[in-house]
Amino acid sequence: MIPAAFEYVRPDSVEQALAELADPDAKAIAGGHSLLPLMKLRLARPSLLVDLDGLDLRGVSVDGDTIRLGALTTYDELLSLDVSVPLPAALRDCANAVGDLQVRNAGTVGGGLAHADPASDFAAGAIAVGATLVLQSPAGTREVAAADFFVGPFTTLLKQQELLVELRVPVRGERSAYVSFDDPASGYPLAGAAVCGDAVGLTGVAAHPLAAPDVLDELGLDDYRRHLVTVAIDRARGAAR
Amino acid sequence: MSIAEQPARAAGVRRRRLDAAEKTTGRASYAADAAYRGLLHARPVLSLEAHARILSIDGSAALEVTGVRAVLTADDLGIVGGSGRKAEPLARTEVVFAGQPVALVVADSEAIAEDGAELVFVEYEPLPAVVDLEQAILPGAALARIERSADEADVAMHGEAGAGQDDEGTERVSGNVIDIVSYAEGDTEQTFAECAAVVEGRFRTSWIHQSYLEPQAAVAWPEGDGGVAVRSSTQATFWTRSDLARVYGLPIPKVRVEAATLGGGFGGKFGVIEPLVVGAALALSRPVRLVFTRSEDFVSASPGPGLVIDLKVGARADGTLAALEGRVLADSGAFSDSSPVGFAGGKLGGAYSFQAWSVRTYGVRTNRPGAGAYRAPLATPTAFAIESLVDELARRLDVDPIELRLRNVPAAGDLRVDGIAWQATGLRETLEAVREHPLWQRRDDLPENEGIGLASGLFPGGRMGASAMCRLDSDGGVTVVSGYVDMSGTDTGVAAIAAEIVGVPLDSVRVVSGDTSEAPQAGVSGGSMVTYCLGSAVALAAADAREQILRYAAQQLEVDQADLEIVNGLVRVVGAPQRELSVAAIGSRLTGFGTSYPPVEGHGTAVPPDLAPSAAAALVRVRVDRDTGRVELLDWVAAQDCGRALNPALVEGQMHGGAVQSIGYALYEELVHDEDGQPLNGSFLTYAIPRIDAVPEIQTLIVEVPAPYGPLGAKGIGESAIVPGAAAISNAIRSATGARLHELPMTPDRVWRSLR
Amino acid sequence: MARVEVTLRVNGEPVPLAVEPRTLLVHALRDELGLTGTKIGCDTSQCGACTVLVDGRAFKSCTLLAVRLNGAEVTTIEGLADGMCLHAIQEAFAEQHGLQCGFCTPGMILATADLLARDSDPDDEAIRRGLIGNLCRCTGYQGILASVRAAAEASR
Repeated sequence: MIPAAFEYVRPDSVEQALAELADPDAKAIAGGHSLLPLMKLRLARPSLLVDLDGLDLRGVSVDGDTIRLGALTTYDELLSLDVSVPLPAALRDCANAVGDLQVRNAGTVGGGLAHADPASDFAAGAIAVGATLVLQSPAGTREVAAADFFVGPFTTLLKQQELLVELRVPVRGERSAYVSFDDPASGYPLAGAAVCGDAVGLTGVAAHPLAAPDVLDELGLDDYRRHLVTVAIDRARGAAR
Repeated sequence: MSIAEQPARAAGVRRRRLDAAEKTTGRASYAADAAYRGLLHARPVLSLEAHARILSIDGSAALEVTGVRAVLTADDLGIVGGSGRKAEPLARTEVVFAGQPVALVVADSEAIAEDGAELVFVEYEPLPAVVDLEQAILPGAALARIERSADEADVAMHGEAGAGQDDEGTERVSGNVIDIVSYAEGDTEQTFAECAAVVEGRFRTSWIHQSYLEPQAAVAWPEGDGGVAVRSSTQATFWTRSDLARVYGLPIPKVRVEAATLGGGFGGKFGVIEPLVVGAALALSRPVRLVFTRSEDFVSASPGPGLVIDLKVGARADGTLAALEGRVLADSGAFSDSSPVGFAGGKLGGAYSFQAWSVRTYGVRTNRPGAGAYRAPLATPTAFAIESLVDELARRLDVDPIELRLRNVPAAGDLRVDGIAWQATGLRETLEAVREHPLWQRRDDLPENEGIGLASGLFPGGRMGASAMCRLDSDGGVTVVSGYVDMSGTDTGVAAIAAEIVGVPLDSVRVVSGDTSEAPQAGVSGGSMVTYCLGSAVALAAADAREQILRYAAQQLEVDQADLEIVNGLVRVVGAPQRELSVAAIGSRLTGFGTSYPPVEGHGTAVPPDLAPSAAAALVRVRVDRDTGRVELLDWVAAQDCGRALNPALVEGQMHGGAVQSIGYALYEELVHDEDGQPLNGSFLTYAIPRIDAVPEIQTLIVEVPAPYGPLGAKGIGESAIVPGAAAISNAIRSATGARLHELPMTPDRVWRSLR
Repeated sequence: MARVEVTLRVNGEPVPLAVEPRTLLVHALRDELGLTGTKIGCDTSQCGACTVLVDGRAFKSCTLLAVRLNGAEVTTIEGLADGMCLHAIQEAFAEQHGLQCGFCTPGMILATADLLARDSDPDDEAIRRGLIGNLCRCTGYQGILASVRAAAEASR
């Protein structure tokens, strides 16, 4: 219930934060609602917690045909965006599916993606809408497609000394939606499907969130889950707007 | 006109709870809240093995952590008596369930205690884990517990147990079978042959956790000369005191138990945590606090047991239920201190009486936590079985389901399958109330995949001796003193009884619950007994107080006592209301300095001569999503006979709460262990209690068929409220889809598979 | 581990604290400040019994580190009433029987405060959505729904 002891720093720049992350046992914390529960169960035991709260990674802007979301944008801030921001419906649905009122006040889009829960709602949406993630390290910045970002359970392409700083969402005017069937205890999806145009992002059904394979049987699910995936995709298509 | 016959003035009023202000402001003090000087904090080390011999416990690394004061094991606790889990708060040599406490780390803070607990290393020699019930009873099966130990079962707590016969001689079973209870009457074979319709099924219900929002917590400290006090989240202070005295070899006066404000109990808070904390306080001569984490509460408390029920029921052509045959395997877990499994068989007959029956229940020891009671113990799973079959019988006989049940309402004197006679109940009136409801009228006029289901339930309730005092205070207010824990708002109910009988405004009655050294003797808060039994004692105490007030007033007003009445705090001469004396003035006079009259103090002890079962029925409309197996609850009507609604809002609250707990039973909740006895779920992340978005609006129909011996006619209602809901949902799914489910919970994947 | 100094504003008062980095806000409130109205009901951030307001929004205080909240405005259940005068939400819960054992109640009331601050006239669906993060085992949520409706009406 109480985390193992750790040191704490609160840098005020990305560069400083990256420097602190040189320690291999250091972990960055954003909203903390994925990491802290693990630390409370002592399943995660970073020796140093790098608080990202002081970094200038907030703010949402529309840049031509791209929406730029600061990594520390909370789900609640996303849902409160003015209608003038043409956020794809799928991302709105995903944000609504995350946790509950309290969790949405704390959780951040960047933190959720970086944590890479295999059942992350928002990851499915990021994949389907073709989002790009901007990663920054001491070596500079690089952009990675959301669909390529997740490589295993709680594992992404992020290096130890690298932070997700921005999410870029293309504005394509395509109809989109997210539908999930959730575990009634955890609230996490047993099967979640985000569709945007022809693209489909899945979550809860594999080692990591992923673009839907052409052959869903490849997922190796039991009959019920396999069926749920199809239903989720169909219903997301039906709800796309 | 007797007091009970007068029109109600305080009873029957919908008013807020007595403790509403302190609970809505955060001032109520629960067991983990109070501060104590010099308090030490404890964290348990739980067994990771479901069944093993303990070879060694090494606390040396833990003791090196600054602030860790002790690492206690069983030998440190000074236990000298008692039996069952209460006498073994820390495992001695054999661990019998995963999650069993084996050591206790005590430190200056909870964080340090947790740091220390991580560093206690236990060496185990694993033994075979007994998990499967069918395998466990076979002769030659591996034993869940190898060392013998005397176990007691608390049969008295949850209603009356009949004279069951232990029939161990008639079949060979393994040493895991700790109890066989059989009931039989008449010739079942012959009677089944006479039936026009016979239905049967095998039903499985899961282990289920009470999931009170407040995890168990206790603080214990040395007190007086070699004594100990404990303040805990408990449903039974006096019983806990007796247990602790026995376990630690202390005389009763040296053990004091205080009940903190209780954050839910539902049958799970009976002496699970106190033996451990008291042992630590005595061993260290310091105040020690232990607060279970939610995970610890899930794996090492006393959840309700899983059952396997084989049931066969037959009805005659006219719809009379005639024959019943049943076998129950009841998983008792590793300890049977609080195990209610003996009652399963008696409940198999549901709300009915039969002409011939044969029922056998096996209580089976396994390597799971010791089974405990969960609100109407075993009544919900047994109702699931019997009400499913009665539903099928109605179809077979082509009789309306309510009509069939009305034809089978037991009369007073008809026998339950455990041989005990039914009392007269309000079951008929409850079913008739449901029959009138618009939702029932619509049952045949529903779209595809929607269905309406009905089930009834009769929980026998219980009775126990109770005691109360009713004191007139210096301000004219009345204080009711008892030793009962207010688990469900019962304080507010007894306040209404006292106000009604004495004749004072509701607002001038307060209710206090004292600890075991100061309060009148109290039984348990549970078993639907508090309002019924404590209420009866309060009624007598209030009548006694009223009598004393009138005697004084008669003398002061120089009239006959018979010519006086008390209305709204005023003692008045009937027919001459200007001649009056206020109860406030009397209180002031009789508590002043140098009075020549004794103070007014009413006292009452009571045990109701008979039970007062509270009938309940649930009517549910569902929509089943065939593609996902998800069951949506669209409408819910809960009907229940409460005898007399002392406070209708509280009665409704019990009906609401029971209904939603039955939804948990029906659709969501199961504690699962793998074949090695490892718990697969043990947190709210993996064990789903219903959230607010899982429940429909619940309409309530309160029926009032007065209890002959209840205070102002009131019955205990807490438990029947949970009984019929799961069966009603199952019957609704059957109506909607044609599929009959036999396993609880009816999770989406199970529903989906049953539709294929 | 060394303690870190932070100053929170709790129920309107500045409160300097020296806490280990691993100290959860709920423990700082309960153990350092004696504000035990905020409850701990689980260890997986689900039950919501620990809900408080931080800068006016509802958070689960069991999932916040006190050290990160320097300068933050924290409102606990103890800070809602005005002396002996109950806040409209507390009054509604008391009157509409939005509680039985009361353990979930402080968290439920504060989550309701956030919900009503965003939406002064929520329909039932919005109320349910707003309170998904708050578990109750006693009331079946019926009294809670009635309480939130009444609180919304009283505040309009």
